[in-house]
Amino acid sequence: MEKQRIPIILKIKQMVTIIIAGLIVIWFLTPLVLITISAFALPEDYYQIEKVIHFTINQFKALFFELEAWKAILTSIKVAGLTMLLSFVIGLPAGYALSRYIFPGKNFLKLLCLATRMFPLMVLAIPLLIIFMKIGVSDTIWGVALAHTAMVLPMIILISSSILSSISVDYEEAAMIFGLSRIQAFFRITLQLALPGLAASAIFAFIISWNEVFVATILTLTNRTLPAHILSTAMASPDYYKFTAGFIMAVPAMVFIFFVRRHLVTMWGISLK
Amino acid sequence: MVKVRLKGLKKYFERVKAVNNIDLEIKPGEFVVLLGPSGCGKTTLLRCVSGLERVTAGRVFFDNDDMTYLSPKDRNISMVFQNYAVWPHMTVDSNIAFPLRVKKYSQKEIKKRVVWAAKLLGIDSLLDRYPAQLSGGQRQRVAVARAIVMEPKVLLMDEPLSNLDALLRVRMRTEIKKLQENLKVTTIYVTHDQVEAMTMGDRIAVMEQGILQQFGSSDEIYHNPVNTFVAGFIGSPQMNFIEVEIVSQNKVLYLRTKGLVIPLLDKFKDKVSKLSDKRNYILGIRPEHIYITGRAQTDQVSSTKGKVYFAELLRSDTVIHLEKEFGFLVVKTPGDLKVKEDKELEVLFDLLRIHLFDKDTGKAIF
Repeated sequence: MEKQRIPIILKIKQMVTIIIAGLIVIWFLTPLVLITISAFALPEDYYQIEKVIHFTINQFKALFFELEAWKAILTSIKVAGLTMLLSFVIGLPAGYALSRYIFPGKNFLKLLCLATRMFPLMVLAIPLLIIFMKIGVSDTIWGVALAHTAMVLPMIILISSSILSSISVDYEEAAMIFGLSRIQAFFRITLQLALPGLAASAIFAFIISWNEVFVATILTLTNRTLPAHILSTAMASPDYYKFTAGFIMAVPAMVFIFFVRRHLVTMWGISLK
Repeated sequence: MVKVRLKGLKKYFERVKAVNNIDLEIKPGEFVVLLGPSGCGKTTLLRCVSGLERVTAGRVFFDNDDMTYLSPKDRNISMVFQNYAVWPHMTVDSNIAFPLRVKKYSQKEIKKRVVWAAKLLGIDSLLDRYPAQLSGGQRQRVAVARAIVMEPKVLLMDEPLSNLDALLRVRMRTEIKKLQENLKVTTIYVTHDQVEAMTMGDRIAVMEQGILQQFGSSDEIYHNPVNTFVAGFIGSPQMNFIEVEIVSQNKVLYLRTKGLVIPLLDKFKDKVSKLSDKRNYILGIRPEHIYITGRAQTDQVSSTKGKVYFAELLRSDTVIHLEKEFGFLVVKTPGDLKVKEDKELEVLFDLLRIHLFDKDTGKAIF
């Protein structure tokens, strides 16, 4: 059988695409590779990164136990968990309302959600600290979680409204016809269908809180979350500790992206089905 | 079987009067079709009956029970949605069983009824599949099975066949009609397809702009449309509408326009002679009630001539567009007829089958 010829121009186009994609991948992966190697490198090899062949986990041990990062990780998990919970308890009903009802000022409200991101945190942080001190939640897990919730909430509202919009109202209405109330229909039908997307956005909230450093540093002294803790300890340590700390910070986010990348598409309002 | 009664039903969306003062009485076990163009308010009316939409004013009765402000779950109704609304995260079996589970039927009863409904719709072999694994037609059947499984008082259908392909639609039409006849459940069926309406409905409610135009059997609606809207909406090709004036000559009344004079039969005389204004009327005649010479089914005809502009050869029929002074005259003739374009052709108006409408109000005079 004669081999079918592919026009040369198509081949070139394909090559160009591959090269561009390759460059982008290298652009993003190089720092990650360097961080990973540096994190596990022996201190004496560290400054000649191309020669690293021996690896150690000593820096990790030091970070976790001597610098008490494990405490900070625990705090971080608590704060991020609380943030996730609070932002969903408030954000999900709001998202539902935005997706299912038409009411005056709806678009303005959506815009307002985005507008909260306009103010730099630096501007808000000091007044926030003063208010928190007055009501007695400064330097507590609750204080940081509240601040993080305020940061995450607009996004959770918009994301959950977009996820819920992608689920046809008919499913819910059918359930109401066949014997459920609106609230029951929401929990037994809509929420079930939205779960993958909502789970992804929950983890998203978790990660934002996990990575947030500025507010956490200002609002706490003793109950520091991991990023705040690292900032004040590892950053004052030798360079290779910094990379180890960076590695600890980066891994959860990467694992998250890996698992939820399919649902992320739904989160941003493009339905896959 | 319940009687459904709608009294002065209104549903406004801001300034849009989607449903405007509708009175309708549906007999127990009757199959009523709500027919109208898209946006005429037929789906909104159905949703008011279902309770998914809160009415602005008016009342909904099932027999003598006032349902107006009851939530959908308390009305003992079921519904088939246009895009099926079969829940994708449940198997066919769970979908059909859902209404029964909610109403806390016993396991044994649930199983019995699900199998009964599935067999009735021919989907008993698909019970453990998920909706994503089904074709559109099969999903449709699941939706219908789910709707009949708990033997509702009223069955509501919102354009259930519009997402199916043409062949399947014809088959499901017959099946749903037969199913309804066997179950004897009072049914309200929404469609914009006049063929569906004519073939399925015991009675048809024609709607336009939120207002009920005519409610009657397909026979009444086809032969005695109350206004130009109903006359034009029912029938394909559409009824010919010709602006005419009434003239009287030698004690005979004629409908006249440029290039056309139609004598009125005596039976219409009374209604016409009462009219004070003699201008501004619309003559309506269906394409199938204009015959080719030699093929008339009655001798009470009146002839006119025109040039053939275009002939649609459907083979089962031939639809001829005749060029006349007042515009085009559409004539439907048997398919075996050979016609050449640009040739003069004589056609015969069936004088018994003509309609006359008031031009301003659109209301039928006869």
